[in-house]
Amino acid sequence: MFAFTVARRYLFSNPAQTALLISGVALGVMAFVFITALIGGLAIRLTDDVTANSAHITLEPETRIARVLPGPDAELAPVAIISTFQRRQIRAWTSTVSLLRSHPAVSAISPQISGSAFLVKGEAVSPVAVTALEPANIDAIASISTEIISGDASLGADGILIGSRLAENLGLSAGQPVLLRTDRGVERLLIVRGVFQTGLQSLDERVAYLSIQTARPLFLLPEGITNIEVKLYEPGAAREVAAFLHEATGLRATSWQQKNASLEGALDAQSQTGTLIQAFSLISVLIGIASALSLSANRRRGEIGIMRAFGVSGSFIAAVFVLQGLLIGMVGAGIGCASGFALCSWLATIAKPDGTMALPIAPREGGYVAVFLLTTIGAVLASVIPAGSAARLDPLEAIQQ
Amino acid sequence: MSALLEARGIGMTFRNGDELTEVLKGVDLTLEHGELAALLGASGSGKSTLLSIVGLLLKPTAGTVSIAGQRVEGLPDLERAQFRNRRLGFIFQFHHLLPDFTAIENVAFPAAAPAGAISPAMRRRARELLARVGLADRMDFQATRLSGGQKQRVAIARALMNKPELILADEPTGSLDRVAAEQVLDLMREVNREDKATFLICTHDEQVAARCTRRVTLKDGSVEGT
Repeated sequence: MFAFTVARRYLFSNPAQTALLISGVALGVMAFVFITALIGGLAIRLTDDVTANSAHITLEPETRIARVLPGPDAELAPVAIISTFQRRQIRAWTSTVSLLRSHPAVSAISPQISGSAFLVKGEAVSPVAVTALEPANIDAIASISTEIISGDASLGADGILIGSRLAENLGLSAGQPVLLRTDRGVERLLIVRGVFQTGLQSLDERVAYLSIQTARPLFLLPEGITNIEVKLYEPGAAREVAAFLHEATGLRATSWQQKNASLEGALDAQSQTGTLIQAFSLISVLIGIASALSLSANRRRGEIGIMRAFGVSGSFIAAVFVLQGLLIGMVGAGIGCASGFALCSWLATIAKPDGTMALPIAPREGGYVAVFLLTTIGAVLASVIPAGSAARLDPLEAIQQ
Repeated sequence: MSALLEARGIGMTFRNGDELTEVLKGVDLTLEHGELAALLGASGSGKSTLLSIVGLLLKPTAGTVSIAGQRVEGLPDLERAQFRNRRLGFIFQFHHLLPDFTAIENVAFPAAAPAGAISPAMRRRARELLARVGLADRMDFQATRLSGGQKQRVAIARALMNKPELILADEPTGSLDRVAAEQVLDLMREVNREDKATFLICTHDEQVAARCTRRVTLKDGSVEGT
């Protein structure tokens, strides 16, 4: 294509100017990549922090609603009944677990009995949220066994694991007995098998782990369970998978995003701010290309005029400038993506004294395909105005100048 | 055999705000095949305007133009461009070579642009033309490395690339020294004689006109004598 040859020659005729122009495009693209990788990395870090030791989806029985029997003289509204005695439970939980095991998005499942209780040690009493789970599956949702600081994670038939702050408050240590009194009014003496420390105060001060078998008589649940916690390979898919599980099981399925609505709002706001910054960096790149090509078209008026005089079509002239825009966009975007990835990769290696990353940057989240396509298409569009004015140039006027 | 160029009653009026300037007033001009005609006149006499109208670079406000029997003054822009490309050749006072291309590429350009590439046949013809204008040893020189006279000879070769029937030259020696101007004039005479190419040379230089076979003089927008 001869127009391509002309475009290439025009770009190479002033290498310094072309290099400067491409550098400008590359810098803009690099800024885009950096912002995208930073926002993506921050979102990943926040999501990981929130979901690392909690379920991506929690399945529970639906809240029961009283049936309404309308009378002739009264208007009655449905009322949600939260039983104070009859515990809501999932009776057919084994079939639900089978369904979950067959779902390709699910990475781990933990059937649980959750309830409230008090731990009593002599005169000291502390409320706890009891989570009873399968001992073999103890790390399915939260990494409990790796957080044990004394004793071990073997629950056994009479074991209990408690958090470090709770142990401190009650003056307990591994191997000591403690009385557990549940909200069902049942109590039993258990042995502290291990003390864990996650660093999260809410867990370390208020949560205790038992085995499901131990919990059944304590919470008066001989067969059923209270909830199933689910981990996914891709946390971002929780909302969709939860909707599917709700449809399939009839259970209430709550995604981690629903439980952390404020976090999701913050991530959305962060993403929108990022989009604005990305848009400004792209717009500045495109204005640069348009102005550089306009200057080039103006500088070459005489040449364009003579081409038009000997009958070269306006579309050929336009193609020369659009192809210049395409080449600048592609090369600039390519260099920008490569250097942006290099910059992000380097930043990702910088660690703070405690070993964590100085910047929560995710080099793979740089949006490379999007920015390459946006820049290339944008560069072509930015070249349309100078290309159009060059194509419409009056040959006589241009030659006489 | 009909005339190559027939311009009848050509009028051209330019508007500048409310002011109207009549540059050409009913000019008649006929050129036969193979003529080497000088278009003379003082500055502002309208000779460049007439050349631009004949060269389809400007539309007249009155009159008709026929080239090789085809009425051309009312052609749409695209057809005018195609007509210029295939049937007319242009030589300007300033060569306007493309500085980023070699001499041979500049010569081949009018054929290559519509075709999409410089074919071997185009390259062969461009080489022949450059050899003919005495630049066989400068074919692959960048246009910027050529002297003023050499550039104008490349411009003549470029004008001949598509074998035009009519070659329009606007002060072709105006920017050259005497020796280079003589060489360019000799070359145009040679092309006229050997190829039977028709030339209309716009000039105010009597010495250029003296080398032509015919003189057309414009004065105040009208033909004063032929």
